[in-house]
Amino acid sequence: MPSVLVIEDDDRIRLALLLALEEEGFEADGAGTAEEGLRRQRRSPADVVIVDLMLPGLDGFDAIRELRRTDDVPVLVVSARDATQDIVTALEAGADDYVVKPVPILELVARLRALRRRAAAPASTAAAWTFGELAIRPEAGEVTLADRPVALTRTEFRLLCELAENAGRVLSRRQLLQQVWEYEIGDERLVDVHVGRLRQKIEPDPRRPRHLVTVRGMGYKLSG
Amino acid sequence: MTLRTRVTAVFAVGALLLSAVMALLSYQLVRVSLTEERERAAVRAAYYNASVVRADLAADAPDVAEILRSLETTENRQVLVQRDDVWYSRTADEGQTSAIPSALRDRVRDGEASVQRVRAGGRPLVVVGVPLADGTAFYELDSLAELERTFSTLALVLTAVALLTALAGAALGRYATRSVLRPLTRVAEASEQIAAGQVRTHLDPAAEPDLARLTGSFNRMVDELADRVERDRRFAADVSHELKSPLQTLAAAASVLHRRAASLDERSAAAATLVVEEVDRFGRLVNDLLELARGDRPLERTEVDVEAMAREICRSRGVPPDVVHADAATWFVDRRRVEGILVNLVDNAVKYGGGPVAVRIGDHELVVEDEGPGIRPEDRETVFHRFVRGHTASDRATGSDGTGLGLSLVAAHAAAHGGAASVEDRPEGGALFRVRVP
Repeated sequence: MPSVLVIEDDDRIRLALLLALEEEGFEADGAGTAEEGLRRQRRSPADVVIVDLMLPGLDGFDAIRELRRTDDVPVLVVSARDATQDIVTALEAGADDYVVKPVPILELVARLRALRRRAAAPASTAAAWTFGELAIRPEAGEVTLADRPVALTRTEFRLLCELAENAGRVLSRRQLLQQVWEYEIGDERLVDVHVGRLRQKIEPDPRRPRHLVTVRGMGYKLSG
Repeated sequence: MTLRTRVTAVFAVGALLLSAVMALLSYQLVRVSLTEERERAAVRAAYYNASVVRADLAADAPDVAEILRSLETTENRQVLVQRDDVWYSRTADEGQTSAIPSALRDRVRDGEASVQRVRAGGRPLVVVGVPLADGTAFYELDSLAELERTFSTLALVLTAVALLTALAGAALGRYATRSVLRPLTRVAEASEQIAAGQVRTHLDPAAEPDLARLTGSFNRMVDELADRVERDRRFAADVSHELKSPLQTLAAAASVLHRRAASLDERSAAAATLVVEEVDRFGRLVNDLLELARGDRPLERTEVDVEAMAREICRSRGVPPDVVHADAATWFVDRRRVEGILVNLVDNAVKYGGGPVAVRIGDHELVVEDEGPGIRPEDRETVFHRFVRGHTASDRATGSDGTGLGLSLVAAHAAAHGGAASVEDRPEGGALFRVRVP
C-alpha cells in the first residue's frame, strides 16, 4: 500500500484528506507543522509527501528545501495560493508538482499515483549517456559532472533521461509534460522551473547553458 | 455645428464687422478731408487767377484769350471767362460751359463768389466762380478725377484689409478653440483609456495649470473609482480564497461519502450524491470567481500551441478531437487564459449545444460552433455577463451544473488580451461563438 505524508496545519483539511486518501487505498499519515512532518519523514519515510505552503513556524517552501537536502521523495504542493510567484518558488525549492485548493480528490489521487509511478519505474533502460563531462547512468540512478556525483530529485532525473534519450532533438514542453509528468494538460511552468533547476545542477555555467538549451518557440534540447 | 466651428465663425464675423466699420470710418474721414483740402486749394488758385485776370482786363483793349493763355493752368484745371455773354477759354471745349451749373452762374452774376462740386460727363469737378468788374465772370473748373482714383484705390485697400482681418479672426478663433479644447481632448483621451481598461489613467496637472481644478477632481475621481473597483475585486478574491480551505475539507469528506455510497441506505446515498455534486460545483464556482477576480492581472504571454491545446481539451471531454480545424497553431498569448476560453466554450457547447461540431483556430480568432438551439438575439450580449444564463440554459437550470460564469470568463480572458467575445447564429443552425485574442 503506497504511503502518503500530509503536512497541513488546518486540522479539518488534514483529517478530511487522510480519510479520503485512506479510502482511496493509501496509507496516510498527517503532520500539523513542517517540523513534525520532517521528523516523521525521517523516522518512517512515506512514498509521497503532500505539503501546504502556509504553515506555522517553518513554512512550506522551507519544508521542501529542508526535505530536499536528504530526500528525493516526490513532493506535491497543495495550496490555496495560486500566484505564479508562489508556484515557481515552490517548484524551485524542489517540489515535483503543484495543485491549487480545492482540488477534487480524484485529481489529487491521480497526481499522487503518477508521482509514485514515476518514482518507482526506472527512468530509462538505456545503459549510459555522456555529454562532455556529464555522465548519466539510468540503471544506477546516477548522474556525475566531472566525476562528481550530482544529486537530482526523481522528477529531475526523469526529465534529464527523457532529454538524453532524445539527445539532439527538440522536445516541446507539452511532450515533456506528457512523458515526464504523464499529464495530458498541465502547467508548462512545471517544465520551465524543472529545466531551470536541472541547469543549476548539470551546467558548468547555468546562465549560459551548453548542454540543456532552450529552442525559442519550440522547447528544450539536450546535446553534447 | 461643433463648438469649434461656432467659435471660429463668431471670431471671423466679429473681426469682419470691426474691420469693416473701421475701414468705412477711415475712408469717409480721408475722403472728406482730402476733398475739402482740394477744394480749398482750388479756391485759392481760382482767386489768384481771377485777380490776375481782373488786373489784365483793366488795361486798354485787353485780349481775353491772350490773358487766359498767360495763366498757369494744368490739364486738370480749366479757366473760363464770360464777358458780355461771350465765353473765352483756352480750349474750344463746348462741354466746359455746360458743366457750370446755372445756380452758380446766377450767384456769380449777382456779384457773389461761389464754389460748387459737380459731376460733368461722369467726371467730378470743383467749379469756382468769381465775379469780375462789368458783369464779367471768371470760372475755374478743377477736375477731381485723380482724387477719385485715389479714393477707389483706398477703398480697395481697405476692403482687402477688412477681409484679411476677418480671415485672421477666423484663424485666431480656431487657434483659441484648439487651445481651449486641448485639455478637454486630453480628458476625452484619458476617459477612453480608462474605458479600455487602464483604470489608473491620470491627467498631468502641470500640462494645464489653468485647469488645475478639473485635473485635480478628474484624477481624484479616477483614483476613487479605481480604488473601489480594486476593493470589490479584492473582496471577491478574499472571499473566494477563504472559501478554498473549507471547500477542500468538503471535497475530501464528500469523496469519502461518494466511495461509501453503496454501503449507505438509499436516502443517505441520495443525500450523499447531492452533497458530492454540489461540493464539486461549489469548487468550480469558487475557481471561476477567483479567475474573474484576477481579471486585470498582467498577461503572461508565451508561445502556445493552441491547436494541441484544443484537441486535448476536446479529448478530455469526450468530444472527438477532429472537430478542431487550425490555420495558425501557435499563438503568443497567456496560456492559462486561452485555456480558460477554450475549456469554457467547449463545456458550454457540450452542456447546451449538444457538443461542439467545429472548433476553428484562425489568425488570433477562436470559433466554436454547436448545433444546439442557438442564442436568441436579445440575449447575445447579456449571455457574457456574470451569472446570466441564456434561455436554453435556464430552461435546463435544474439539471445544469454550470456556474453561470463560464461565458463571462471567456469575455474577461478575451478582454485581457484586448480582444472580445461574441455569439452569432450558425448558418446551418446552432450557435457560433467567436473570440478574438490579439
